[in-house]
Amino acid sequence: MATVTLRGIRKNFKETEVLRGIDLAIADGEFVSLVGPSGCGKSTLLRIIAGLESASGGSIEIGGAPVDRLRAADRNLSMVFQSYALYPHLTVAENIAVPLRMRQLNTAQRLPLIGRAVPGARERGREIDARVLEAAKTLEIDQLLDRKPGQLSGGQRQRVALGRALVRAPAAFLLDEPLSNLDAKLRVHTRTEIAELHRRLAATFIYVTHDQVEAMTMSSRIAVMMSGEILQCDAPTRIYEDPNDLRVAEFIGSPRINVLPAESDSSGRISVLGKGLPLALHEGRQTLQLALRPEALSLTHHTPLLQGRVVHAENLGHEVFVQISLDGAEQRVVLRTDPAMQAQLHLGAKVGLTFDPNRALIFDAKGQRQRNLLRALQEIPA
Amino acid sequence: MSVADLPSSAAMRRATADPDRRQASAGWLMSAPALALMLTILIAPVLLALMLSFTDYSLGNPSFNWVGWDNYERIFTRSTYTKMLSATFTYVITVVPLSVGLGLGAALLIQSLTRGAAIYKAVYFLPVMATLLAMTIVWQLMLHPSIGVINRGLEGLCAMPFTRGLLSLSFLGLSPEATWFGRVCTEGAPLWLGDRDYAIWVVCFIGIWQGFGFNMVLYLAGLTGVSRELYAAAEMDGARSYWERFRLVTWPALGPTTVFVVTITCIRAFQAFDTVEALFSPGGGPGKSVYVMMFAIYEKGVTQNLMGIGAAITVLFLIFVMILTLIQHWITERKVHYT
Amino acid sequence: MTRFSPSLIIRHFILMIGAAVVLAPFVVMLSYSLKSPAEIERGTGGLFGAQEMMVDPKCALRNAPRRGDIETARTRFPDRDDSTIQTLLTEEANAACEVRPVVFNYRSAFQDAPLLRYLLNGVIVTASIFLLQVLIALPAAYALSKLKFWGREAVFGLVLFCLLIPVHAIALPLYLGLAKIGLTNTYAALVVPWIVSAFGIFLMRQFFMTVPDDLVDAARMDGMTEFAIVWRVMLPTAVPALLAFAIFSVVAHWNDYFWPRIVVTGDRSLFTPPLGLREFQAGADGNLYGPMMATATVIVIPLIVAFMLAQRRFIEGITLSGMK
Repeated sequence: MATVTLRGIRKNFKETEVLRGIDLAIADGEFVSLVGPSGCGKSTLLRIIAGLESASGGSIEIGGAPVDRLRAADRNLSMVFQSYALYPHLTVAENIAVPLRMRQLNTAQRLPLIGRAVPGARERGREIDARVLEAAKTLEIDQLLDRKPGQLSGGQRQRVALGRALVRAPAAFLLDEPLSNLDAKLRVHTRTEIAELHRRLAATFIYVTHDQVEAMTMSSRIAVMMSGEILQCDAPTRIYEDPNDLRVAEFIGSPRINVLPAESDSSGRISVLGKGLPLALHEGRQTLQLALRPEALSLTHHTPLLQGRVVHAENLGHEVFVQISLDGAEQRVVLRTDPAMQAQLHLGAKVGLTFDPNRALIFDAKGQRQRNLLRALQEIPA
Repeated sequence: MSVADLPSSAAMRRATADPDRRQASAGWLMSAPALALMLTILIAPVLLALMLSFTDYSLGNPSFNWVGWDNYERIFTRSTYTKMLSATFTYVITVVPLSVGLGLGAALLIQSLTRGAAIYKAVYFLPVMATLLAMTIVWQLMLHPSIGVINRGLEGLCAMPFTRGLLSLSFLGLSPEATWFGRVCTEGAPLWLGDRDYAIWVVCFIGIWQGFGFNMVLYLAGLTGVSRELYAAAEMDGARSYWERFRLVTWPALGPTTVFVVTITCIRAFQAFDTVEALFSPGGGPGKSVYVMMFAIYEKGVTQNLMGIGAAITVLFLIFVMILTLIQHWITERKVHYT
Repeated sequence: MTRFSPSLIIRHFILMIGAAVVLAPFVVMLSYSLKSPAEIERGTGGLFGAQEMMVDPKCALRNAPRRGDIETARTRFPDRDDSTIQTLLTEEANAACEVRPVVFNYRSAFQDAPLLRYLLNGVIVTASIFLLQVLIALPAAYALSKLKFWGREAVFGLVLFCLLIPVHAIALPLYLGLAKIGLTNTYAALVVPWIVSAFGIFLMRQFFMTVPDDLVDAARMDGMTEFAIVWRVMLPTAVPALLAFAIFSVVAHWNDYFWPRIVVTGDRSLFTPPLGLREFQAGADGNLYGPMMATATVIVIPLIVAFMLAQRRFIEGITLSGMK
């Protein structure tokens, strides 16, 4: 088990910059998710860590030792691939044994048939069998050991791929969207299992996904990547509640965060859709964006900050998401509320909305978070 | 719309009453020509060959005699036919592994290139396209004892002391007679087509030359189906050398391709005719050393009008093809079918 | 990164040696088709021949001075004796028969044998075979893939069985049958054995299986008969597959030598290109190697040029049998 440190990793494919200087320090035993939309470079980054692709610049250390000159086979990492990449001609047991056979047996001992006669092969072989069985038991696939991958379901293949990764004790586990080929139900189940596995092994995990729910539920830290950069790397709660960048706020959270145009006047006082808020910036007049999670909005009858009409409602049973078209603005906002409220929220109903200014996230025109706010009204100079 | 525009109710009932029956009759009507032709052109001749192989029939004779297993007995006892079997199997056993191996080798080399792959692929495929008979005649000219470029080239290499010394290995202290090249220089270049030690190998060479590009293309197609991630996985699992990755990923993935390539190359090799006819007709080469089956069928059955023996060879040929196909099916069912 | 690594150089080196061996006969064929007999005999002239004027031996023979010519020429050469006049006249005749070797070779190829006729026969035979194969295979493939009828599985089973029978292997009984009905030495004999292609039926059937049933049902709703569906709906969708099959079929039958050899005997007007070339070879002496190579070039070139123009399609087509 080891730390993984990335310094200024860059990657160019011909003219296009896929990664633009990635710095990331992953502690021993940490579970870090690389999450972002497709094409953000997260898979490329993982393959560079693995040694399957070379970086155009920057350096990688695993366990404190630089590995830039080491090839993938020598970096002591295990990887679980999106397509599982199981050897179709080998049984489950043989598949799981491959990393051990490749590393612990020499070329002569690996030969088919005669290999077993080579001195030392038998004992090593027995050791390997024991390790394979242990890994298979951990993943509850010990009944499948004699099957070929073609005879397994997607979920079972996924476990075999995990088994092949954890049969060794590598410096770190790399997982490249391992759940994306599973159906929704199995995905939820396996999510839990991988998280538990991580706790049990206390190993370093680097997990690539485009699914924010996977990232939120499993990780110690999430690195949100977009167009070749890490926008923010923090614990899931911080990422959700305190994003640095509007793109992070928009990417994480479902339904999407509500973004409203806002502005500050010459004294720095912020208003949204013409309504002044008890918030102010230190600097003067500028265009802003105000973001609100659907649960930050609430219905109100008196002095609403926002007004609009119900245009659509989605009842998920335990909660309702209501889309409201705001008066005097083009966009809709989404409100999360209790199913009990639905009676008032029939289509076309006029509603008033309010929110706690402290839960509003303020971004500048470029999407950078503005943290330096004056909050209480009395603090705002007249 | 007036009533007259509508199809009459009787016609409508006929057209729509029973779509199943309509489909059935259309189905039979459409497959009937193919069915009839398959039966007359493909199945009937097989049966006819089977029947003729037990007779001494000749075209133009009013009658024939049943001769039982005589024809078959002859194939396995008379020296002409044992020579035929030995020439055929020598050809098949030489051409199949070499043209499959070269096809695979060329495919692997070409696939590893980033530049020039398309050119090599096109070049290696040219002989597959070219009329084999024409190219055989070109090879014949190239192998001509006096004016052929090959013997001229050998003479040229003998004339230069450096190449002569190098190729005859005389720099190792061997006598000129000890190596093939040394003998060529002292005794003259071989009569490629007239010498029974060379004739069959020349035919094999042309067969390989012509066929390996076909196998290469099939292997290249097979290689594109090998998952990139599998190579990445092999690398992660510690397969450091090319050979280890080949054994772990490439070769197993090419299993189905290999079974198919070997079968089709075998069947094509059994059918070798053009080269032999162009180079060794009539007779089948020095000492009948190149008397392959298809040529025997042609010479016995058509030229010499010995239908019975020709038919027996045909039946034997069909049996070989059936055995090959059965082996192919058996392997495909058992081993290479993963999913 | 590893643009000039030793391993890359070695790989190119091996592939180039292979390419040299593969190309050698093509180079020799083209080169000899350009050279004069003397250059071929002596092995001189490089790749393209020196293209020095040579005497066309046939023309020289035709124009050689006869007794009567010498008599009439006396007036032109008053003071010479007969043998001198003959020498002079021979020189004149030879001068009139001078040609470039390349012209000599290709002209002989077309004039000494009806090469154009052979080429035309090749086109007629390959085109008829392909068209009839499609005419028979398409409806059958449609019936086997989209129509339900009793016995369909049996018919398809027969197709699969026929797939195993190489037509060349059953040439002898086929030849016997054609001889019995008096069809040898006809175009029909060259074409008939190939018109039912089990492979074509199989291929088209597999292709039609991928066409959605809804398309067929929609055509039925539009009032098309089953036959109209085959030609107006299925045929257009099958064009790419048919093109590949066309290449497969045309290449095989243009190059086929075995079957024409059996059923065409003697009648030159029915010769396909390989038969014509074979006849040339049988009668060739040293003088005719050039024209023979020119004939070979003319026969081989059309497919090669087509291949160069549409490499991918050709490779697809010829390896079709590998894709099932």
